[in-house]
Amino acid sequence: MSMITGAPGRAIGTPLDRIDGPQKVTGEAPYAYEHHVESPLYLYPLQSDIARGRITHIDASAAEALPGVVIVITHENAPRLADTSDKEYAVLQSEEVAFRGQFIGAVVAETFETARHAAHLVEISYDEEPHDAVLRADRDDLYVPEQVNAGFPTDTEEGDFEVAYASAAVKLDETYTTPMEHNNPMEPHTTVAVWREGDLTLYESTQGAHPVRRTVAQVFGLDQKRVNVVAPYVGGGFGSKGLPHANTILAALAAQMIEGRPIKFALTRQQMFSCVGYRTPTIQRIRLGADEEGHLTAISHDAIVQTAKIKEFAEQAAVATRMMYATESRRTTHRVAALDVAVPSWMRAPGEAPGMFALESAMDEMAIACGLDPIEFRIRNEPEIDAETGLPYSSRNLVACLREGARRFGWESRDSTPRARREGRWLVGSGVASSTYPVFRLPGSRARVRYEGEGRYAVEIGAADIGTGTWTTLTQIAADALGVGVGEIGLRIGDTTLPQASVEGGSTGITMWGSTIFEAARVFRERHGQNPSEGDEVEAGTPENPETENYAMHAFGAYFAEARVDADTAEVRIPRMTGVFAVGRIINAKTARSQFIGGMTMGLSMALHEESVVDPRFGHVVNHDFAEYHIPTNADVGEIEVSWIEEEDPHVNPMGSKGIGEIGIVGSSAAVANAVYHATGVRVRDLPITPDKLLPL
Amino acid sequence: MEFLQPATWREALEAKSAHHEAVPIFGGTDVMVEMNFDRRRPGYVLDLTRVPEIQVWERENGKFRVGAGVTYTRIITDLKNELPALAMASRTVGSPQIRNRGTVGGNLGTSSPAGDALPPLYASDAEVELASVEGIRRVPVGEFVTGPKRNVLRREELIWGFIIPEAEGPQQYAKIGTRNAMVIAVCSFGLALHPARRKVGTCIGSAAPTPVRAKEAEEFIEGVLAEGDLWETRGAISEAALRRFGEMVEMSARPISDVRGTAEYRRRAVGVLARRTLSWAWAEYRDGR
Ligand SMILES: Cc1cc2nc3c(=O)[nH]c(=O)nc-3n(C[C@H](O)[C@H](O)[C@H](O)COP(=O)(O)OP(=O)(O)OC[C@H]3O[C@@H](n4cnc5c(N)ncnc54)[C@H](O)[C@@H]3O)c2cc1C
Repeated sequence: MSMITGAPGRAIGTPLDRIDGPQKVTGEAPYAYEHHVESPLYLYPLQSDIARGRITHIDASAAEALPGVVIVITHENAPRLADTSDKEYAVLQSEEVAFRGQFIGAVVAETFETARHAAHLVEISYDEEPHDAVLRADRDDLYVPEQVNAGFPTDTEEGDFEVAYASAAVKLDETYTTPMEHNNPMEPHTTVAVWREGDLTLYESTQGAHPVRRTVAQVFGLDQKRVNVVAPYVGGGFGSKGLPHANTILAALAAQMIEGRPIKFALTRQQMFSCVGYRTPTIQRIRLGADEEGHLTAISHDAIVQTAKIKEFAEQAAVATRMMYATESRRTTHRVAALDVAVPSWMRAPGEAPGMFALESAMDEMAIACGLDPIEFRIRNEPEIDAETGLPYSSRNLVACLREGARRFGWESRDSTPRARREGRWLVGSGVASSTYPVFRLPGSRARVRYEGEGRYAVEIGAADIGTGTWTTLTQIAADALGVGVGEIGLRIGDTTLPQASVEGGSTGITMWGSTIFEAARVFRERHGQNPSEGDEVEAGTPENPETENYAMHAFGAYFAEARVDADTAEVRIPRMTGVFAVGRIINAKTARSQFIGGMTMGLSMALHEESVVDPRFGHVVNHDFAEYHIPTNADVGEIEVSWIEEEDPHVNPMGSKGIGEIGIVGSSAAVANAVYHATGVRVRDLPITPDKLLPL
Repeated sequence: MEFLQPATWREALEAKSAHHEAVPIFGGTDVMVEMNFDRRRPGYVLDLTRVPEIQVWERENGKFRVGAGVTYTRIITDLKNELPALAMASRTVGSPQIRNRGTVGGNLGTSSPAGDALPPLYASDAEVELASVEGIRRVPVGEFVTGPKRNVLRREELIWGFIIPEAEGPQQYAKIGTRNAMVIAVCSFGLALHPARRKVGTCIGSAAPTPVRAKEAEEFIEGVLAEGDLWETRGAISEAALRRFGEMVEMSARPISDVRGTAEYRRRAVGVLARRTLSWAWAEYRDGR
């Protein structure tokens, strides 16, 4: 194992190699499906072929007759769940079908292949009702949600937007859209469920073992102590494993019916397109008004999103607009259409990712309308304080990111005229966009520190590593918190037998778990001093941060992209991108770089590739696999240069860090779109930017 | 499911004759996808990977006889000078893993209008060699493929391989996809110059129910080359002629709109590819290659 054992108290900030790297590359790190269980059974789900209606008849006789089939489960024989108030989790509780692809049953068999084959032999008749699966801005049933995701107010109003906009010297009024997108982590959503003597163990692919335990215990009416969730290694989630989905409930239901035999259930890639969350499509109207000097006087952002009829998830697409730039007047709204579709959910930077595509595209257009360089235009509209809370920022270094990025990218020599550079058949251009992400806090983490003798400390917290590097970064944090080297720390995470931890979501992992470990270490030293005895132990919860009352806390960044567009075929290539971030202290330069590169690549992907295409006649995603749902290949990603500003922020948390898991995708799609505009003179406001949208060039 | 694993071509043909429903598999890069999706569940799978006879290529009076089991990777390494368009097309297929397993034989078996190996075969007037225990027959590739994923292969037959003339002049293949690798063609175009015969072969991929030759465009450009004595003088083709060639190719396309691209885009893009590949190939010809 490669480990740096440097001086105590200095682990944070070192580019420590991944502690779990060797286990991962040798295949020893078990992912959910790989935990060893005795004589497992395999589950294959039945999914509805209609988008709305009711099941009238199920003929499972052919499936049941197949050798190796143990049981066919449907709403007719499934046990009743204790709590069905959340309809996403009310699996197999009635004959109702609420969206296409909904789980309506399962086959459990001795092999995966048998279960799958048997599933296709089950005949299901429906009473089909007309469905409605298309989001449009002119729907007359858009409604005002009580609040939007993450607890933000639905609408905000500051000053008098209408008056200020009407009298603005320069105006912009444009609508931007982003399509439905699917998270697509490499590891599919997986549960291995074992129900034995009233205890339920779930080997789960999740961003939060404890939240899964809470949900499952509640849905099944179990004491939380009887549910154990194990998730030491997770192959990505991008938000889709943040909240449990119906697949976990379905696996647990089957385990309950076949006590004693483990049930293995991994979704196929195609199934991941129907029931484990997605990013809602968005329709966003942005209006900007500015005076002659390019000072914004009016900003409005009206976002329309969709949710499922069975459960509300209202993506907060307009929230970043509430704080990004200074203005005299501002209005933001969110409206929602409830459709016969699967439940949307978190996808990397829900809200900010689509919202900042719209705002940062509009800012580019407005800079041009004001005759200003887009960096200068942003700097001119840099706010003094956070407009939403009226508080000063704990640190806000957007301008520094823009300047440093401009230097690194070579922005100075840029001629702002669109479509003015040609190299052979390629039209060449460059674009810039800003980024931001809030420093969220989630309650409810606890950490345990125990001295194990010979200088070694066990540090335990049920946190998640979804591939981001938590095993490594929390080890570094624990080492500094205790004032020992990283080699002295034995970290344990990813299991509900460990102290409870909040979900890996909202880029809060390091903030919450790290702060909690710092607190536990502080209390440990307070009680047991620098020379503890073997077995000395302390458990502590997340401390409050009173500074949240005094400061607004956000991370910032800036992106630069070069676009090359084939003048004849409109194929787009992005040979290079530069990202500069101001995100507090970087815990580990290596894992942080990976987050930024990954986020920016995902933004590039959002800009050029990703789109879940729904067939309105059937209500399902037609391009539901990697052959047709494109994410970039290596050959599509050019040079990505990542750097960060040394930012001291003593207010955010004891590490001085801000979350970095999501910011990389926020606004990077706009940088690409702005570069494509600069190259071609064609403004594409509807993602993804496919060649047909650029023609005629 | 029964797995048949013949060790010789003769055994393979006998197995196919005994089990008409047997699904041949070589690289499996199409067959396994179908099976994984449970789209087909054949009673018999006929594995051809142990049959040595179809994994060879040979020269046969100025032509190449290439077995169905020669992978894309081998075509790229072994035949890049002899069959340049096919080698170029092979380079655009999938990823290294897919190219190591996938074959032109499988591409013919699948007969997708987007199959990347097909346009070069059309542009060079290749023939497909089909065999059964009864004997062999050779079918021009344009007659072999009859519709999207349909061909004239009989139930008792297997594809031995294809016969294609060695390149006697520059060839090109160009493909447009919505990303740079691992992509099904939005549209593609294969072109071969045949200086000895004074002919130009073309084929449009992924813009009609089958690959299609742009016959009118071929005749047009052959006329231009003949009239201007360009084959002999190796003079330049005028911009106007190139453009007209592109437009005529566009007219031969019968594209549809789907998630990969609109019909309008496809039509335009094949015109661009046609113009480009012709100008590249002609520039090579002028350079004496
Ligand atoms: C990830 C991925 C990427 C891909 N990218 C591309 C691409 O870029 N371009 C492209 O054109 N294709 C692509 N494909 C499709 C596939 O790789 C090609 O069609 C390939 O040529 C199939 O060859 P194979 O040897 O694997 O065929 P197999 O899958 O073994 O067989 C394909 C078909 O041919 C039949 N068959 C095979 N051999 C014979 C024979 N000797 N006689 C009779 N019938 C036979 C089979 O029964 C089957 O119907 C891709 C596939 C995947 C999985």
